[in-house]
Amino acid sequence: MDKTTIICRCEEISCEEVEEVISNGGRTFDDVKRITRCGMGPCQAKICTSMVAEIIHQQTGLSPSEIPLPRMRMPLSPIKLETLATNSTSFSTVKSVLDEVELEEGKVR
Amino acid sequence: METNYETIVIGGGVVGSGIAYHLSERYKEGVLVLDKKYPMSGTSGSTQAWVWVHNKTPSWYAEFNMYSAELYPYLSKKIGDVEYKRTGGLSPFFNESDREKAQKLAESYRKIGIKIKVLSREEVLEKEPYMNPEVAGATYSSIDGNVNPFRLIDMYMRAAKRNGVRYSTYNKVTEIKKQDGKYSVVSDKGAFECKNLILAGGTWSREIGDMLGVKIPVNQLRGQILVSEPLKPFLNFTISGLRQANNGEVLMGYSMEEAGFNRATTLDVIQETANMAVQYVPGLRKAKIVRAFSGIRAMPEDGFPILGKVPGHENLYVAATHSGVTLSPLIGTLITELIMDGETSIPIDRYSLSRFG
Repeated sequence: MDKTTIICRCEEISCEEVEEVISNGGRTFDDVKRITRCGMGPCQAKICTSMVAEIIHQQTGLSPSEIPLPRMRMPLSPIKLETLATNSTSFSTVKSVLDEVELEEGKVR
Repeated sequence: METNYETIVIGGGVVGSGIAYHLSERYKEGVLVLDKKYPMSGTSGSTQAWVWVHNKTPSWYAEFNMYSAELYPYLSKKIGDVEYKRTGGLSPFFNESDREKAQKLAESYRKIGIKIKVLSREEVLEKEPYMNPEVAGATYSSIDGNVNPFRLIDMYMRAAKRNGVRYSTYNKVTEIKKQDGKYSVVSDKGAFECKNLILAGGTWSREIGDMLGVKIPVNQLRGQILVSEPLKPFLNFTISGLRQANNGEVLMGYSMEEAGFNRATTLDVIQETANMAVQYVPGLRKAKIVRAFSGIRAMPEDGFPILGKVPGHENLYVAATHSGVTLSPLIGTLITELIMDGETSIPIDRYSLSRFG
């Protein structure tokens, strides 16, 4: 791979940018992702995972089995927010910041 | 690798790296940061990264957050572009009955110099046209904003390294011994010695404290967040619950669950988060969600930061808190003052570990 080879098409991240993270101490796909955005685009690392693993392997000598896979998360393929929403307006785990403001004898604590 | 340092920081997240950077500005003795993985693999890399002040309670705690937010413009001039934006913060309410509480908040915070406006429905919609027209009002403060957490920590690390700080990553601390007035920190990659030891272990603070027989009562509190595809810029403010990043993505979520170190995302909370987002900004309905993620907050037992000297242990310091992104410039500054000058420019006594007895 050339230094300018695009590893992540969604976010346009080059081989050189991935290599820099490894030379600064990164060891995993997720380290590369957080610093460069490699794999954060719409395809969610479906294209670049193996190429990043290859670069990590070349630079560190770690064998492919020692390089953890990126964490896949819902929804795997982009879906509209309305598909997830249930239109309820009662909340339990999700909070409103203002709800956390407590009044004590009519005054803010 | 050099094994003798004046100061070792355990934990390279936003708090630990913030301390290391601020120390390196004034301090030319050796500083080493140890991280069990790579910084950002924990809490600091899984956050919406609001720089948030205006409805934290009680007022003395909001004031503490305000001082830190005030340091951000200067910090980004020193360490480089961290995509800090002082957007102003909006906390909407949908029930007219919340207005009284909002006004009480504004009244009591005016006394400490935090200006909060309580906005009418029309004023909210004028500021944020995409907000749900059914909103009753909002509290607003110009001091709130947000930052790119990855940029922030990366820039802290780069600036610290330029000033001579060493990092040892993927290097877990397994044992800490005190001998001959020094600390010996045993890690996967060998033992290091130092005079000053700073514990900035975030969610793992309790485990690190145990190595020295010090109880650091920090628990875990999970939050789940949804990320949209990049959208044209349409949100002007940091809304408590969601914000739009520089690249157009909208981050949504403000949830709290006790789930230990489990970083799963769960459908029930994802759905509740989606409901919150469409309630606040109905136009998001058609936006596509590309990812959900979760992060674990480091939550001290009473909800407030644990900062300063560890009572009964010479040259041992602790910095463990939630809101690490908001507070890191101030915590870095204060811990540096404590180590170099023996006192801090803002009193931190009430944040001492000693309050837990």
